[in-house]
Amino acid sequence: MDRNRRTELLAASQSQEVRQLAETFLSERAIAEELHVICPPEIGMIMMQVREPVCRERFHLGEVVVTRAEVAIAGFRGWAVRAGSDRETALAAALLDACAEYDSKMANQVTELCDLTAQRIAADERSEWQELLATAVAFEELD
Amino acid sequence: MGYAAARGGLQAIEAAEKLVARERILGQSSWLDTDQIIEKLRLAVDRVMSEGGLWDEQLAASALRQAEGDPIEAAHLLRSYRSTLPRIAYSTPIDADDMVVLRRIVPAFRNPPGPQLLGRTTDYTGRLLHTEDDDTQRTNAEKMAAYIQENVTNFPDNDDDKNHDRSSRSPRRLLELLRDLDSVVDRRRSDDPEPFDITRHPARPPASRSARLATMARAETGALVNVWYRNILGPDGYLHEITLGEVRHGRLPVRMLHPLTGDEITVSFVRVTEVEAIEDLNGIDEDRGRFDVGYGLCFGHNEKKAIAMANLDIACERDQGRSFLEQSILLTTDGLDASGFLEHLKLPHYVTFRSMMERKVAIRQHQEASKNLESK
Repeated sequence: MDRNRRTELLAASQSQEVRQLAETFLSERAIAEELHVICPPEIGMIMMQVREPVCRERFHLGEVVVTRAEVAIAGFRGWAVRAGSDRETALAAALLDACAEYDSKMANQVTELCDLTAQRIAADERSEWQELLATAVAFEELD
Repeated sequence: MGYAAARGGLQAIEAAEKLVARERILGQSSWLDTDQIIEKLRLAVDRVMSEGGLWDEQLAASALRQAEGDPIEAAHLLRSYRSTLPRIAYSTPIDADDMVVLRRIVPAFRNPPGPQLLGRTTDYTGRLLHTEDDDTQRTNAEKMAAYIQENVTNFPDNDDDKNHDRSSRSPRRLLELLRDLDSVVDRRRSDDPEPFDITRHPARPPASRSARLATMARAETGALVNVWYRNILGPDGYLHEITLGEVRHGRLPVRMLHPLTGDEITVSFVRVTEVEAIEDLNGIDEDRGRFDVGYGLCFGHNEKKAIAMANLDIACERDQGRSFLEQSILLTTDGLDASGFLEHLKLPHYVTFRSMMERKVAIRQHQEASKNLESK
């Protein structure tokens, strides 16, 4: 799986699943011993710039709370950012990212989690669309 | 009479704070979870995020609970918290066209490009208060849940037709259609000025459009609606022939550059409300053969605010600083500014008032002395 896509899906995965897989990996001595936290989980903000359609100008819509973290395992760096203020899950996601770079077997497990998340998002969007379609309207003009 | 500056009172202040907390935290009803606030009081949470200028549903719900449901106070709490956080990145510029719609109506045009989706709304429903008791309302809710389960979510996994495609979820704008018809003034810029940051510097007239848009995106809903209403029907005397082009509620991606790959990634999504207001140009110095368009966009689902914002955006463009409109928007629509100034009036003003009182006494003494002189 492409690293960018992996980061996006780890950001969208359920926190419990991310933490659970990270704990599984951490139970391996090699991972625990080689783990180095480069950037401890930090809660901060991303200023959201939007390009509006009338003049094609950028403006600041507001800020979004995120938590980011960065780790390395035997020199393989892992980085993650997730919406909200969940330090533990951001750190776990960074760990999964590093593990996926470090070991191909672990990469497969991370990919499985990401695939599950992608499927869940697709199913939610289909379900959402079905509900929205029921509200599609065609107004009639009166003579 | 003794007027003096105030100090102390710490015990009374703490006791007063405890009185608030006691009822809020230890009241007779069950604990109010933030998840419950986010789900059941969605519009209030959205408003707090929008006026706080910070997207985080959990924090906004927590602020709303702490503020006992006062949205301005909750936005105040959110902004205070915001000031403790570092800004770790700017998003890459998010194109408003990337919105995935949850609701989209086009009041100006019956057959716009893409669907008209009413989405989640009570716009066409009579405002009747549900007076049934809680048990009856719960039973009705359970019936509705069963109906939805049976009729809406029961579909095959691979059912991706029925227009579940990019063009339906992110439909083409009416503005683009008007451009195709050469019916709208083209104000698209070829340069790309840096947006004004209202969190770092106060916006003052004459301001850039990015400063106005950012100010209105963070403005207090009631204040913005009031400025719009005053501008359209009040003593300011403008009567705009406004028609709404697009009213959308949907999700916008939050994107940033991945520090290790250098590529753009989607970090999350925020819900926003977007409005385009079509203005009929009729000024002597305007292109009367075309329309112009105002733009509104704010966090969360808040159509009143986005509509007022879009109307005021185009009103400012047409006004070109001739009236006090821009000043009103920039200086009087921030909820925190206005309520902060108002609330401060409750704090002890003993010294100020003592000074005023002494002046009154002095004036009276002077008046009496003058009278005595005249009578002699």
